Amino acid sequence: MAELPPFANEPVLELRRAAVRAQLSDALARLDQQLPLSVPVMIGGDSRSGEELLSTDPGDPDRVIARCPRASESDVAEAVATARRARGDWGMRPAKERAAALLAAAQWLRERRLELAALEVRECAKPWREADSDVCEAIDFLEYYARGAIELDRGAALLQVPGERNELDYFPRGVAAVISPWNFPLAIACGMTAGALATGNTVVLKPAEQSPGCALPLVQALRAGGVPADALALLPGEGDAGAALVRHPDVATIVFTGSLPVGLEIVRAAAEPADGQREIKRVVAELGGKNCVIVDADADLDEAVPGIVSSAFAYAGQKCSAAARVLVHEAIADQLIERVAGAVRVLVVGHAQELETEVPPVIESSAQERVARYAELAASQGRIAVRVEPVPDRGWFCPPTVATDLPPDSPVLAEEIFGPLLAIDRVRDVEHACDVVDGLRFALTGGLFARDPATVRYVRRRTPVGNLYVNRGITGAMVGRQPFGGNRLSGTGSKAGGPDYLRQFVEPRAVSENTMRHGLVV
Amino acid sequence: MTGVSVDPASIDRDELERHIREIGGELAAAFPSSARHPMRALDARAMDFASSDQQLKAALFRFVDVTPACRSLDDLARHLRDLLEEVPEAPPPIAAAMRIAHTRAGRTALGAAAAAGVKHMAHRFIVAESPAEALAGLRALWDRGVASSVDLLGEATVTEPEADHYANRCDEALEQIATASPRWASRPTLEADSSGPIPRANVSVKISALTPLLRADAPERGRRDAAGRLRPLLRHARELGAHVHIDMESLDSREAVLELVLELLIEPEFLEGPSAGLVLQAYLRDSPDQAARILEWARTSPRSSPLQVRLVKGAYWDHELVQARQHGWPTPVFEVKAECDRNFEELTVRLLQSRPAVRVAIASHNLRSVANAIAASRMLGGEDRDLELQVLRGLGDELQDALASLGMRVRTYCPVGDLVAGMAYLVRRLLENTSNESFLSEQARGTPLEVLLAAP
Ligand SMILES: Cc1cc2nc3c(=O)[nH]c(=O)nc-3n(C[C@H](O)[C@H](O)[C@H](O)COP(=O)(O)OP(=O)(O)OC[C@H]3O[C@@H](n4cnc5c(N)ncnc54)[C@H](O)[C@@H]3O)c2cc1C
Repeated sequence: MAELPPFANEPVLELRRAAVRAQLSDALARLDQQLPLSVPVMIGGDSRSGEELLSTDPGDPDRVIARCPRASESDVAEAVATARRARGDWGMRPAKERAAALLAAAQWLRERRLELAALEVRECAKPWREADSDVCEAIDFLEYYARGAIELDRGAALLQVPGERNELDYFPRGVAAVISPWNFPLAIACGMTAGALATGNTVVLKPAEQSPGCALPLVQALRAGGVPADALALLPGEGDAGAALVRHPDVATIVFTGSLPVGLEIVRAAAEPADGQREIKRVVAELGGKNCVIVDADADLDEAVPGIVSSAFAYAGQKCSAAARVLVHEAIADQLIERVAGAVRVLVVGHAQELETEVPPVIESSAQERVARYAELAASQGRIAVRVEPVPDRGWFCPPTVATDLPPDSPVLAEEIFGPLLAIDRVRDVEHACDVVDGLRFALTGGLFARDPATVRYVRRRTPVGNLYVNRGITGAMVGRQPFGGNRLSGTGSKAGGPDYLRQFVEPRAVSENTMRHGLVV
Repeated sequence: MTGVSVDPASIDRDELERHIREIGGELAAAFPSSARHPMRALDARAMDFASSDQQLKAALFRFVDVTPACRSLDDLARHLRDLLEEVPEAPPPIAAAMRIAHTRAGRTALGAAAAAGVKHMAHRFIVAESPAEALAGLRALWDRGVASSVDLLGEATVTEPEADHYANRCDEALEQIATASPRWASRPTLEADSSGPIPRANVSVKISALTPLLRADAPERGRRDAAGRLRPLLRHARELGAHVHIDMESLDSREAVLELVLELLIEPEFLEGPSAGLVLQAYLRDSPDQAARILEWARTSPRSSPLQVRLVKGAYWDHELVQARQHGWPTPVFEVKAECDRNFEELTVRLLQSRPAVRVAIASHNLRSVANAIAASRMLGGEDRDLELQVLRGLGDELQDALASLGMRVRTYCPVGDLVAGMAYLVRRLLENTSNESFLSEQARGTPLEVLLAAP
C-alpha cells in the first residue's frame, strides 16, 4: 500500500446549497422502499433472521424500520468462540492489511452516505444535518484508526545499549465485545469496532436495540472491505445479550458507550473472573454527563445564546456532550435568560426528515416519560422560563424547556436527563461556577463563554471535564481535532478519535535480545 | 432598455487603462492633502503598532471587541492587561501600560484612557447613537454633495422581540429621515438619473436582524418570517418615497436574502415602489451566476423603478474562508486578491451594460476599482449620473469628497447605533483596514499611484 495521505475529516454536506438539499428527499424515498430492513444475527458465514425485535421511527412509531431476532446466550457463546478462533488470522495480519480493510469500509460508507443518513433520520429521528455528520464521523474513525494502527505497529522507542536489542511492540488483546448506543448509531459503533479491529482484535458487536438497522451497514461495510466474517459478528439483541457478552470468559476487552448504571454494572461484572478466564478484562467506557456551560459577565451573548441553545436542544439534547446546565454570572443572568428563552421559543419541534426541524422527538416512549418527569420536577421546584408547546401528538416529542431558580440539591441539576431540558443557574463569579462543576459526579464536556484570557486559563486549570469548549458550542467533537471522552463517572478517560485511543486495545510486549556472541556484537 | 449585451472584450483594453489612470490621477489629486494617509482615520499610533505585530493586533482587536461588556474602568483595564499579557514581546509603551494595570488606581486611569480610545475610534465609523442624532450629520454630508444610506447597527437577532425591535428602529429611521430630508437644499446630481428621481431618504437593512429564524440549511422559514417584517418596511418606504437597500451578509444567508428580495419586490403592492436595491458580492466565485440571476430578474421585472445593484467585494472574507476550511468545503471566495479585483471589474462592466434595467452602485474604497467603474461607464456611453459610487463612513471619507468634487454621485453608508451594538461592525472595519491586502493599507504604506492604479 502506498503512503497514505494525511488524515482529513470527511466533509459534511454543504446543506446551505439548494442543489445539495434537493438530493435528500430522493435518498429518503429510496430508503423507504427498502423498509423494513431485516437485521440478522451474523456469526461467521451464518446468519439467522427473525422478527422478535422491532425498531421503529420515533416520529411515527407505527413505521417499522428494522426487524431482527433477539440474540440468545448460545448466539453469544458461538459468536465469541468464532471470534476467538479468528484471532490467529486477523490478529497476525500486517497492520497495513488491516488498515486497508478499514479504508475500504470507509469507501463503502462514503458511496452510500445519503442512504445511511436517511436511515438515521428514520430509525433514530436524527435530523439530516446531524445524521450526515454521524455518517461522516464513522468514516473519520475508519480513516483515523487505520492510520493510527499503522503508526502503533512501529512500536515504541527504547533505550539501546551495546550488546542488546530492545523492542517494544503492541499486540491485540483478543476478542472485544462492543456494546454501542443508538444516539450516534453509526459513528460510535463504528469507532469502537474500528479501534478494536484496526489493532488486530476480533469483535462481537451488540448494537442498541433501538438502532439495529444502523449497525447492519457497518458490518456490511467492514466485511465488504475485507474484514473476515469470523472476525466480526453482529448480535442484535437486548441487555441480556450484552450482559452475557460481558461475562464471557473469552472476552478480553469490553467497549461500551451508554448510561452510567449500565456502565457501572459492566465494570462490576468485568471485575469478577469467570471460570476459564485468561485475561483481566479491560473496560473502555464512555458514560453519561451533566455538562455545564459557564457564562462570564464579559461573554459575547450574541455568540453565547446560539451556542447554548444548539448545544442543549439539537437532537433533542440526546448527545452525551449536550449542555444540561448553564452557570451564568449574576451580572448578566437576567439578560441571558431572557435571550435564551426567546431563542428557545422559536425552535422548530418537528420530524427529523424536515430540514427546518431543530428539535426532533426523543428515541422512545420511556425517554419521553423520563424527560416529562424531570420537567414536572423542575416546574415544581423552580421557575420555567420557557416551554415550547404544543408539540406534535404522534411521536415521542418533548417540549423544549428552560428552567431556572432550582434549589442546589435538585435532581434536575445533578442527574443526566438526556432530553431537551436546560437548567440555568446564577453564580457569583467564575470561581463559584467552577466549584459547582467540581461538585458534580460527571465530567464529560463543559463550555466557557468569556473574553479575558486569564479567565480561560483559570477554568482550564480547574475543570475536570474531558472536553472543554471555549466560546463555542460544546457538541460536535471532530475526529482528530477534539478527541472525545470524559473523566470521573463519565467514563474511563478514553479519548475516541484521539492519539491515545488505540492503546486500550493492545497489550505491550517487550523483547530484549542479547546480541553478543563470543565477545563480539553481532 | 439599452441592454444590447456588449461583450466586455469589446471595450478597448488599452483605452480603458488609459482612462483609468487619468481618472485615478484626478481623484488622487482631489484628495484633501492631509489625507494622503487614510490610516489616520484610525487611532494612528495604535494602528501602526497593531499592523506591525500580528499578536499585538489580535490582542487590541479582542480588547476593542470586549469593551462594551466591561462593567467598570477597572474591569476594562484588567481585560486590557490580560489580553496584552498574551503578546510575547510587547513594545515598551505597552509594557508600561501593563505595569500600571497592576494597581487599582493605575487600572482606573488606564481604563479611562482605553475607553476614550475605543470611543474615539468608534466615532470614526459610527455617525451617531440614534437616527435622530444622525440627522445633522446626514444633512452636513448632503450639503457637501454627498448622499447617505443609514444602517442601524444592532446586536444579533436571536429572538422575536429583537427582530421586532430592529424593524421598528428601521421604520423610525425611515420616517425621521424622510421627514427631515425635504428641507435639504436641492442637489440635482444626488436626486435623479436617467431613470428618474432618486430618493433622499435611504436606509440599508440586514435580513439577519429582521428574523431570528435564518438557518443556512433551511432558508425558507427565515425568509417567510423576515418577509413579515420587511413588507411593512417596504410599504412605509413607498408611502414616504424612501429607498430601502437590503445588505448582503455571509454566504449562509445569501439564498434566503436574495430570494426574499426578488420575491417581495414583484408582489403587486410593490410594483410602483418603493425604490429598492440589493447587493452583489464579487469575492464569491459564483457571483457571475448570481449576477445573471439578478439581471434576468431585472430585465423581466414589471416594477416601475429599476432595482439598484450595489457591487461590493464582500465583508466576510475571513469568515467564509475559515468556515469552508473547517468543514472541508470548497472555498466559496477567491483566495487571490487580484482575482477578486478582476472579477469586480468584470461585474462592474456587466452591470453597467445592463442599465437601465438596473441602477448601478459601485461600493469600494479602491481607487483602481472606482476609476475602472467611471472609465467603463463613460466608454459604454453612459452619463456620469447613471453611475453611483458608494463608500463607508470612516473608511472612504477622503474618496467621498474627491468623488463629490468631480461631480459624481457618491453615497456614504452611515452606521448608527450604540457601542455595544456597533462592536461587531467596528471590529470588522478595523480588521479590514489593517489587513495587508487592503487597498487602504497599501495606500497608507505609500505605494506609488501607478502601482495602485495598475490592472489587477
Ligand atoms: C457603501 C458600502 C456598502 C457595503 N455593503 C456591503 C454589504 O452589503 N455586504 C458586504 O459583504 N460588504 C459590503 N461592503 C463592504 C465591502 O464588501 C468591502 O469589504 C469593502 O468595501 C472593502 O473593499 P474595497 O474595494 O473598498 O477595498 P479592497 O482593499 O480593494 O478590497 C478588500 C476586499 O477584497 C477582498 N479580499 C481581501 N483579501 C482577499 C484575498 N486574499 N483574495 C480574494 N479577495 C480578497 C475582501 O472582500 C476585502 O474586503 C460595503 C462597502 C461599502 C463601501
